[in-house]
Amino acid sequence: MKLITATPWGVYSVWWRHFQVYRSTWLVNCLPPVSEPIVYLLAFGYGLSPLIGEVDYLGQMIPYARFLAPGMIAIGVLFQSFFEGAYSSFIRLNFQKTWQALLTAPLSYTDVFLGDWVWAATKGTIAGTITGLVAVLANLYDLSSLVLSLPLIVLGSLLFGAFGLLVAGAVNKVDQVNVPIFLVIIPMFTLCGTYFPRDTLPPLLAKFASLLPLASLVDLLRWPLGLPPWWPLLLLWLIGWMVVMARLAALRIYPRLFS
Amino acid sequence: MSDALNLKAYDLWKTYGDEAVVQGISFSLAPGEIVGLLGPNGAGKTTTVGMLFGTVIPTKGFVQFGPWQLPGQGQLARAQMGIVTQEDNLDPDFTVFKNLTHFAHHYRITGAAARQRAGELLALVNLEHRAEAQVDELSGGMKRKLVLARALLNQPKIVFLDEPTTGLDPDARQDFWRLVQHLKASGCGILLTTHYMDEAQRLCDRLLLLQQGKVIDEGTPTDLVARVIGREVAEIEGVETQILQDLAARYETWYRAFGSGHLISLPDSDPEVVWDAIAAHHPNRLLRRPANLEDVFLRLTGSVLE
Repeated sequence: MKLITATPWGVYSVWWRHFQVYRSTWLVNCLPPVSEPIVYLLAFGYGLSPLIGEVDYLGQMIPYARFLAPGMIAIGVLFQSFFEGAYSSFIRLNFQKTWQALLTAPLSYTDVFLGDWVWAATKGTIAGTITGLVAVLANLYDLSSLVLSLPLIVLGSLLFGAFGLLVAGAVNKVDQVNVPIFLVIIPMFTLCGTYFPRDTLPPLLAKFASLLPLASLVDLLRWPLGLPPWWPLLLLWLIGWMVVMARLAALRIYPRLFS
Repeated sequence: MSDALNLKAYDLWKTYGDEAVVQGISFSLAPGEIVGLLGPNGAGKTTTVGMLFGTVIPTKGFVQFGPWQLPGQGQLARAQMGIVTQEDNLDPDFTVFKNLTHFAHHYRITGAAARQRAGELLALVNLEHRAEAQVDELSGGMKRKLVLARALLNQPKIVFLDEPTTGLDPDARQDFWRLVQHLKASGCGILLTTHYMDEAQRLCDRLLLLQQGKVIDEGTPTDLVARVIGREVAEIEGVETQILQDLAARYETWYRAFGSGHLISLPDSDPEVVWDAIAAHHPNRLLRRPANLEDVFLRLTGSVLE
């Protein structure tokens, strides 16, 4: 497999193709990332806040809704980038044959792969940012903190977009995408400190949850509330996951296009 | 064409495990020439085309196209190639027009230039009245023409057409052939794969006959027919095999079972003598017709094209 033959135009052109599809139905596309966090923040913020009041996070008491908001940003990132990478790329690869069509143009495999990956990350970034803006409007996250968190949102989007692409390259039928959703995405989404601090879990389960990449992303996105002293390791952990996922995804998709 | 590019395939091999799908195919394609790969399904035509533009990596051999060598420089080579794959991979998310303008973007043709080129190509393939249609609303023939138009966005020097008319009705096939001849006239080199004998005979300047990944013969359609079969054949029903076998041996011609009867080639030197000899046996059916590529294939491989 020959790699590193990408050109900036090639990657941009593939990304641009996906953006044109998105743009043509932008209202429908914007609905999930806007409505989902509003529903979650309303349901859990208003619904659970009176019951929970404040949570103990890194030794300080935080109003529950403020604790919840960064978790919702991370979930927006996770869902949108993963689903774009997994479902949409699978469809483009196996049903629409978009990848195959692109490879009749002067584009390399790396161009097409990176274009799809960056697009999945773009959708995660849009979702994370919109969720963040909702949290800002609800006075649960500061605008300046959101701006400073953008690199984290992008990193998380690249990571989960790559995971989605790995799934797209690994499964043979679209229904099989459900397997990693139930085995990985839902456990991450529920256990990684999104809705409650992980230290309320049994120790072994808490350790397992902390190793999942969403835990690192949520902890880092909560930086305005405080950071554990080992936070640089969390950052490296996320970068490591991203590199491994992207490499595995590229290796899995390649044989579906080239023989 | 002053900046013409030649394509040469050197000893292409492709094996999957123990199975050799393509075995030592070499050929060249010059500007303004139509070369056909004719063979039944599974003969290795699509695999060969894949090696020409870079999605199939040869087990052995390489392709030289102008200054570029494949595999390795497929990305650069494809900037001068137009590729019509067998499978339909138009973009269902876009209209007919946007399928062209958005694909042009990959060739760095953007904005007004892309719109102009898309308009020219839609006019060329007679689809300008369907510019705003969704791809799903097009007939099979229209889709194939749109794929061809998309392959011409970059004004390629060479075009690969992989079974371009499979599944099309006779009118749509004629329409597509007209476009292919137009491309040839404009100086484009064309590689066509087909299992339609009439398509190969009508369009191709040279043919490579493929069976099980090997070139079993090559030449112009007329030469192949003349050399392998001769000018005419007779289709016969209701005459004993032994009689035809004796006739073929005596006049050094070729015969074989075909359908519920037999085929026998009539010797170019004296066709009447064989014809009269067969007629004397009062066959149930007797037809005299010009020899064609189907007969060539039948003689060389023992099987008909499918």
